[in-house]
Amino acid sequence: MPLPAGFTGATRLPTFSRSSPRWCAPHRGRRVRRRLGAVAAALLLLVLSARPAAALDDPAARVRTHVLANGMTVLTLADPSTPAVSLQIWVKAGSRDETRYTGIAHLFEHMMFKGSTNLAAERHAQILETRGARVNAFTTNDVTAYFDDLPPDALPLAIDLEAERFANLDVSEKTLASERQVVLEERRLRTEDDPQGRMIEQLFALTFLAHPYRWPVIGWRSDVEAVDVAACRAFFDTYYAPNNLLMVIVGDFDEADALRRVEAGFGPLAPAPVIPRNPTQEPEQRGERRARVRFDVRAPIIAAAWHAPKAGDPDVPALDVLGELLSSGRSSRLYQRLVQRDALALAAAGGAWQLADAGLFYAYAAVRPDASADAAERALFDEIERMRSAEVGADELAKAKKQIEVGIVSGLTTAHGLASRFASETITYGRIRGLEERLAELEAVTAADVRRVASRYLAPEGRNVVRIERNGVMPAPGSAEARAR
Amino acid sequence: MTAALRRGGRALALAIVGAVALGGCSALQPGPLWEQQPPPIRTGPVVPAERVHRTRLENGLAVLVLEDHRLPRLALGVVLRHGIASEAPGSEGVAVYTAELLQRGAGARDALAFALAVDDLGAALGASAEWDSISIGAAGLSRDETALLELVADAVLRPRFDAGEAARVRAEQLAGLEQAKDDPQSLVGRALARTLYPAHRYGLPGDGTPESVARLDAAAARAFHAAHFVPSDAIFYAVGDVSKDEVVASARRAFGGWRGGSPPPDPPPAPTPTPPERRIVIVDRPDLGQSQLAVGHEGMRRAEPDREAALLLDDVLGGGGFSSRLMARLRADAGLTYSVGSGFAMRREGGPFTVATFTRVEETRRVVDLVLAELERAKQEPPTPAELADAKTRSAGGFVLGLETSQSLASALVTLDVQGLPPDSLDTYRSRILAVTPEQVAAAAQQRLHPERAAIVVVGPASALRPQLESLGSVEVVSP
Repeated sequence: MPLPAGFTGATRLPTFSRSSPRWCAPHRGRRVRRRLGAVAAALLLLVLSARPAAALDDPAARVRTHVLANGMTVLTLADPSTPAVSLQIWVKAGSRDETRYTGIAHLFEHMMFKGSTNLAAERHAQILETRGARVNAFTTNDVTAYFDDLPPDALPLAIDLEAERFANLDVSEKTLASERQVVLEERRLRTEDDPQGRMIEQLFALTFLAHPYRWPVIGWRSDVEAVDVAACRAFFDTYYAPNNLLMVIVGDFDEADALRRVEAGFGPLAPAPVIPRNPTQEPEQRGERRARVRFDVRAPIIAAAWHAPKAGDPDVPALDVLGELLSSGRSSRLYQRLVQRDALALAAAGGAWQLADAGLFYAYAAVRPDASADAAERALFDEIERMRSAEVGADELAKAKKQIEVGIVSGLTTAHGLASRFASETITYGRIRGLEERLAELEAVTAADVRRVASRYLAPEGRNVVRIERNGVMPAPGSAEARAR
Repeated sequence: MTAALRRGGRALALAIVGAVALGGCSALQPGPLWEQQPPPIRTGPVVPAERVHRTRLENGLAVLVLEDHRLPRLALGVVLRHGIASEAPGSEGVAVYTAELLQRGAGARDALAFALAVDDLGAALGASAEWDSISIGAAGLSRDETALLELVADAVLRPRFDAGEAARVRAEQLAGLEQAKDDPQSLVGRALARTLYPAHRYGLPGDGTPESVARLDAAAARAFHAAHFVPSDAIFYAVGDVSKDEVVASARRAFGGWRGGSPPPDPPPAPTPTPPERRIVIVDRPDLGQSQLAVGHEGMRRAEPDREAALLLDDVLGGGGFSSRLMARLRADAGLTYSVGSGFAMRREGGPFTVATFTRVEETRRVVDLVLAELERAKQEPPTPAELADAKTRSAGGFVLGLETSQSLASALVTLDVQGLPPDSLDTYRSRILAVTPEQVAAAAQQRLHPERAAIVVVGPASALRPQLESLGSVEVVSP
């Protein structure tokens, strides 16, 4: 299921659109989906058929994997029917790999655009933009990803430009000083002055007591202010080694030529002998945790997270169905209860979320300014309890599965979308999951499974609850507000 | 050379064998690729004429079909050529309100039954109101074409406007107006519109004001629907795995009986240019550490002869991603912001020209000064031939990538119709861009940029902002 924008970590440049839907915007139905790219055609045919194995022409099965001698992995899928190419490089380093300075993974992502031996700061993006390309990057808890969406004839140029910065990056005091300020503006924009950003930051810090997921991807302010050039260089040397990179190329391109260029540019890079990882695992949660954040909001936000299995666990498909039942479309449980029936929220949703090293289930409500936040919280958790106490009917289960099936297909509309999925699955699961496998897992989910995983993972004593509201004070025991809970 | 990826396995492929040394490449190419000139802009048609079919029903409904049989998928819907800007004074917000109510019960189905009918198909259905149009559309699998068409036709022709839903949606819209005050970017956009268009519909939010929305009810939506939903002012589109003959026949069955009067009025012309004095507005949000700011003035209508020159000018100034002058000055050089952008809102009448950015509160004045200076420089030092050449290849290349899918192409064709632009505008776009001269861009800068009388709107703590801005002109402080 697609994550709310705010959950996917920081990107380098926001889309400059006033109309882009925000996470807590009033629910207006799911966005009309974009058309499928040709590469997804076979995949859709599979959904429509009774899925005989003979009909399977899954694009995932046509991906070729190449490994350079230095350990760098390259995934390719050539498809001449699409008018674009997506070149992506995913570095297997995110905020969870940080030591000493939180936020350095993301700050370093910015530094990758600030010049190299043979190119001045900003030229990388500017040269590609001059060809009509879309160039950007993002950082999450687990990865740092760079992408170039290109007209096909610009791919050789893009490969050479990527090789130049991965081989010859130049981090200077001057560029770090100005880019640090850019990142601090990004932090103000997305976190400090944004109620949803405040909520996400607090929710992670509350839910993870020990695991490195507890600190924000963009980092704590004091750390971003303190990162120095030496730390940046050390991070680059440690984590940007070729054996920690995953390159993906999807679209209309000459595979042999592209691979020669990749070999020429990235082949000479020396692998790192070891990629260090933080060892800390999350201890068992014993009891509900709560936090309140005082903020000047008219529409309070209530959010909750529970620990859940991580990617690859057999309970994940049932958790996905559970999320769909709660959140997908205007007939979903949370929309019908909180938005439609009780008129308590402008939006409400929830779902499973797989990080590489942990799983979560989250739920939230954007409370209407004219409604009671306490009432909204009660309704939100009441709907969760309903999923734990009774099985859904056959029609409702079938609806959710159909929505997921169409969603699996619709998520693959462009070269960019396919390349992103190949990369994220390879990193999260260690492989690209085939369509047959995903659909079979989905089909096997029963109403009893959904109730079982809800009951097992979404218990009240396992909740982590955050409220963003004007009054950040906890109610005193015995007060009217406390009694009302 | 490759190996298939297998379940549970990763990275089992072989090393690349095409033994090519670096020297081999450089022998073929004189220098790095990035030092070479981009290839010349290709011109010529981008719309596959053989797959586009247009017709018109007897009641005036325009029909546009774009066939693409590669995939068993489709999108279809109806777009009306008038929207928010044509609302009657006093009923601001009724277009957004009506569009929402279309999805809250139509035909034989109440709100929940309608939602279930959509969700059971795994489909998406939406209705929205824009300044110059109202759209109702659905996307799903082509095997569900009949059901999707029925749902869209019900929403367009047979909305129920139940009293209970009407009250509910009114309360939601009022709550949404209040929630918008939590978002500094919404606040700055709304305050700039109010400042630039005190006597035009463009000056009020698209979803209305608390006073106007409080007056909306089922009767208001019904009246708006009766006056605005007329077939002679509408386009039916279908794109994807459809047969043109079959879909036209289906459209005729679904919409052939649609009757309606004359189209609603065009919006009044945008007001005369903003007064020559500087206007500065602060929206007081004492809790913010970052000010959101916009510098703007009247812009241009979409159908203007210097449209291409203005677009290229804007690209160089602030529209062109990491390559623009404003991005270089504010972000790359000085670290004053995370992003800055500019643009002409191309509406039927003249929408605003806006530069929007944000910075830490204490740097607000410096950023305002730099933005005004770049606007002035665009007039004194208009784009050089090199800057213009880059802007052209950037625009032409991005244009083609933006038409990657058949659905985006169909959407662009419908927009041309709504805006009354020539139907071949996509095919001629790149050659029109190519033909723009530096002199035309310089003239557009003179005619279209007015830093001396641009309004300045800032959202943030007034106590810290007012002292910074007072020397620029008289400052008005308003609450959200």
